[in-house]
Amino acid sequence: MFETRRISYRILLQILLTILVIPFVFPLVAMIQGSLAGAGWDNYRTVLSLPLLPGFFINSALVAVAVILIVVACTMTAAFGFSKLHIAGKEIYFWMLLAALTLPGVVLLTPLFATVTRIGAYNTLWAVILPVAALQVPFTVLLARNFVDGIPDEMIEAARVDGAGMVRTFWSVILPLTRPIIAAVLVLVFINAWNEYLLALLFLQTPEQQTITLVPQYFVGQYNNDQTKVLAAAVLTGLPVVIAYICLQRFFERGLAAGALK
Amino acid sequence: MTTTTTQRPGTATAQRSPGRSSRLHRPSGMPWILPAMVFSVGLLYYCIFYTGYISTLDWDGAAPLQESVGLANYARMLRDPVFWRALANTVVFFVATFVIEVALGLVFACLLHSKLYLKTLYKVLIFIPVVLATATVAPVFRLIYAPDGTLNTLLRAVGLDALAQPWLASGTMALIIVISVQIWQSTGVVFVLYYAAIGQIEHSVIEAARIDGAGDFRIMTSIVWPGVRGTTLAIAILSAIGSLKTFDIPFLITGGGPSYATEFLGTLIYRVSVAFSKVGYGAAISIVLLVLAMGAAIIINTGGRRGGSHV
Repeated sequence: MFETRRISYRILLQILLTILVIPFVFPLVAMIQGSLAGAGWDNYRTVLSLPLLPGFFINSALVAVAVILIVVACTMTAAFGFSKLHIAGKEIYFWMLLAALTLPGVVLLTPLFATVTRIGAYNTLWAVILPVAALQVPFTVLLARNFVDGIPDEMIEAARVDGAGMVRTFWSVILPLTRPIIAAVLVLVFINAWNEYLLALLFLQTPEQQTITLVPQYFVGQYNNDQTKVLAAAVLTGLPVVIAYICLQRFFERGLAAGALK
Repeated sequence: MTTTTTQRPGTATAQRSPGRSSRLHRPSGMPWILPAMVFSVGLLYYCIFYTGYISTLDWDGAAPLQESVGLANYARMLRDPVFWRALANTVVFFVATFVIEVALGLVFACLLHSKLYLKTLYKVLIFIPVVLATATVAPVFRLIYAPDGTLNTLLRAVGLDALAQPWLASGTMALIIVISVQIWQSTGVVFVLYYAAIGQIEHSVIEAARIDGAGDFRIMTSIVWPGVRGTTLAIAILSAIGSLKTFDIPFLITGGGPSYATEFLGTLIYRVSVAFSKVGYGAAISIVLLVLAMGAAIIINTGGRRGGSHV
């Protein structure tokens, strides 16, 4: 992109890039440094020795897995239907789905609260799983439909000529060909489910049911604002997503880019 | 009457037979989109209509007593200075985050498309804030801006004692901090989108411009910027909706204060519905928020398209 044939200019650009990245790294460094202040690694030992801690992680993992299963199942079947099958008034349904893209989670607050308490789902993980999944589906369907549109119709015709039914076509033709977008959806949905805060704050009341985004708050209460422990807990809760991101970096970027570039 | 009924089956089958064969050939996709429609659209639209109904009530969210008050909640909202403050904050927040994120994201995307060292490392560093939950990083920002926090310690260490201050106690500063945290968290997304978009610009066009003597700045303004127009539009919509949705950052870092300086529609709805138990009023603000979000998406989309045809 930029001309880098002159070495001095190249060094200048490298320095510019480094300076611009520093503000992005600074809070991360402050976070790790803060978590090691005072008692050092003992902060982590204290946090890790808390008997409730694995529970927070397990709850977050359960929420993430359930949301991923629901979203991927709904998304891939819908993408196949919208992209390759005949549906009367198809675009109306699609626009109904897209309109939900603009929906802020906070708008759902009261109706969800009223409904959740009425059906007795209050303080259960379902109260978080179902709305979080529902909020993800419009965006992931948009992503996946764009991708499935790129698969030639002839492949589906060919499967049908060979005698494959709809289910078989979906399973043996569409799913193997859409692996990249499934991976992207998976990573995006994982991060969003893992990071959900508002609904968890509202619906999960006892520490046994709470997810990891509520951990810093829990520790503020537990350690009477001992910042070093709170930060150690924050580092530990952030680690899984950072590791997931670094391992699946390519899918992640492709997934995001696929949404904006049609 | 009878003639039409006797005629109809004949013509209907005659017309339907080609249709039926093609339907056999390509069966209806309705069962395939049904799970997503019932689950997502069903749940979300149910909530929206429910919110619309609640917005006409005077209700605390739990008691069996619900009093219908018509549009009184909306009238109350128009008279509420905090609502207007939240709206003004949202506009400032949108303009500031959009302009800075676009500028930063574009510069990062151009730099990382050049031949430089350790590009993957820089990419990862820019993107890590995106994947971290606000709830996870909020304690760090509270620590950095605390009266005896990291920033003030740093300023005192370099002799700038005069600049050290309780950052979150000043309204303007608190809003700037909320905006900066948003920029920190979402520049990564903007960067990735621009990075992909620039990858699609023909390399030969850039080379040709360079041979014609265009410098880096000229190439950025005359080739890259028009070339990524669609992406900028998408970012504008995303960040307008994102600004209206803003909740986690002010809620966790400033709590909407000091004195409503960082109140946004999301935090206001939470405060009104949960803390004050004025569920009807909260629902009215929710409906307005929803209308604004859809309106913003439509205006930016059509405005952007029209502008595009002129270029």
